[in-house]
Amino acid sequence: MDPVTMNILESTMVSICREMGIVLMKTAYSTIFSEALDFTCGLADMSGDLMAVADYCPSQIGGMPLLVKCCLLEIPTSDINEGDVILHNDPYRGGLHTPEHTFFKPIFVDQELMGFSVAIGHIQEVGGMVPGGFCGEATEVFHEGIRVPPVKIKKRGEDNVEVWKLLLANVRTPRVNYGDLRALIAAVDLGESRTVQVIRKYGKTVFRETIRDLLDYSERRMRAELEAIPDGIYGFKDYIESDGVDADRTHTIEAEIHKFGDSIVIDYAGSSSQAKGPINATLGVATSAAYNAVLHMTDPSIPRNSGCFRPIRVLAPPGTIVNVDYPGPEVGGNTETHPRIVGTIMGAMADAIPNRTMAAEGGTHSNLVFGGVDAETGDFFICYDIAGVGWGGRAFADGNDAVDSINGNCRPTPIEVFETRFPWRVEYLAFDPDSAGAGKFRGGVGYTKQMICLNDEIICSQMTDRHVFAPWGLHGGKQGGLGATLILKATTQEWQNMRQAFGKKSTSRYSNVRITKGDRLRLVSPGGGGYGDPKDRRRELIVNDIKQGYVSLAGAEREYGYSEEQHEIL
Amino acid sequence: MRFSENGLYIERYIKCGNCGVLIYEKKGQQILTHEGVTYCSLWCIDWKIAREKRRRERGEGER
Repeated sequence: MDPVTMNILESTMVSICREMGIVLMKTAYSTIFSEALDFTCGLADMSGDLMAVADYCPSQIGGMPLLVKCCLLEIPTSDINEGDVILHNDPYRGGLHTPEHTFFKPIFVDQELMGFSVAIGHIQEVGGMVPGGFCGEATEVFHEGIRVPPVKIKKRGEDNVEVWKLLLANVRTPRVNYGDLRALIAAVDLGESRTVQVIRKYGKTVFRETIRDLLDYSERRMRAELEAIPDGIYGFKDYIESDGVDADRTHTIEAEIHKFGDSIVIDYAGSSSQAKGPINATLGVATSAAYNAVLHMTDPSIPRNSGCFRPIRVLAPPGTIVNVDYPGPEVGGNTETHPRIVGTIMGAMADAIPNRTMAAEGGTHSNLVFGGVDAETGDFFICYDIAGVGWGGRAFADGNDAVDSINGNCRPTPIEVFETRFPWRVEYLAFDPDSAGAGKFRGGVGYTKQMICLNDEIICSQMTDRHVFAPWGLHGGKQGGLGATLILKATTQEWQNMRQAFGKKSTSRYSNVRITKGDRLRLVSPGGGGYGDPKDRRRELIVNDIKQGYVSLAGAEREYGYSEEQHEIL
Repeated sequence: MRFSENGLYIERYIKCGNCGVLIYEKKGQQILTHEGVTYCSLWCIDWKIAREKRRRERGEGER
């Protein structure tokens, strides 16, 4: 192994993946790509193993190898030609959820296949029951939009026009979809051309051998990390409050972690059977969530590739909430169930590695989707809007405030862009004081966004969580604040949840509610759980929280025993 | 994964009864059955038996 060449090649490939993402961001039409960055770009070897990936969306990073490998089982490499681009989104064939579209392009050098350039992106409109794809009341995958098996969208560099027509005939916003699909193709084009340059520079043999060494190196680093964790069987359960259909049924995520020696088995047996509503995770999600959790608990400097996944074995029994069987609904599994799985694994490991785990985070992306016909332009618009949540407190620091959940790493769309692109006016956006779970290290705060509808009609759906079960604390820390979605109709004076306003079964998962001009929508995101006993929190941190508005004086009195007299003296 | 003879659609989604991995027929993947359930490996059969034994010993029963 030549460590210098390996290091340079690894950094170069990661840079290529980052540049692929920049191309995608800059050329996409929808805000889910241009603002939220809900995509991931990577490079895979001939077998589909991940060689390098950029630090975009973790749920897609861990899912990438399975996705590409499943496609290669159906389209063998012997049938793949230079200039082909393969598209796939099937949740039952290694996919993550219906909106997640995977594009990959072969990398040929002198007619020899060397690997694949891969981009996965969340296409915000996929047809189905609701504008925006997140049908909170879906009972089968056919409600959730178009399902695409592995197909060539480009053949030998030419568009496969029949595939394009089929795709664009099945969505509400064909022009925007066309732009986003082209952006994904531009990303894999760039990844291919840059990687060809790199391989030509180093030579095919050196490239292959160095990649082999790189994956082995990552595996060794990961095994060393796991070796340092005390052996044992660790278990934990967390809960999902509703599936939007069988609304009063609570669903359990259970993980039993078997850590022996330098490897780990993550066994989800004991998790609830498959839900009727769309909160089921696919095998890809269950696998990706396990990788995500382990990567969060181990050395972040380990190069991210399939080598570091080798010591991790995932057991996701079929027909359960962590491995949905066809044709069960699944769109919320990738957004809501994934973070719950990560939290469950962290909860299991909390005593074994207290310095590397955190209390529960908000664990939802809010996933408000809406669409309609713009009264001014006559165009159909659609938006997938993501909200930040509070993250859990840690052994050494407070939780992050109002950032996207642990599997997203996405950005909320800025208000200025949001108001320019869509017929809402945002009236209020601010951190929620006292939404963080108290602790020696408090959780991160959530926030409230309130907006008024400017269009004659907007059709809204949502797939969120944490309206009932608050993010838990760790080691004496308190739970974080709950989320909420409320509407104030223009004709009434009372804020109502979706059950009260529209007779929906769930307040957090619902479909196709009609918002009209002058109606106000308020979204409250959950705060993170606290870590450690609140009475151990340093006084100056409490004072700073009050000054900065993270904690109210009343909240400080209630949670930390901080008195108003003390505050007045200060 | 059992495909139709013409290869155009999936007739049956086949997964390992323990780890849930997709099993593609005719792709050289190992397919084993134990007590009527399909598995991808002996390791998975052994794991499932061991898991059930552990749960019985803990008084949890089979889930």
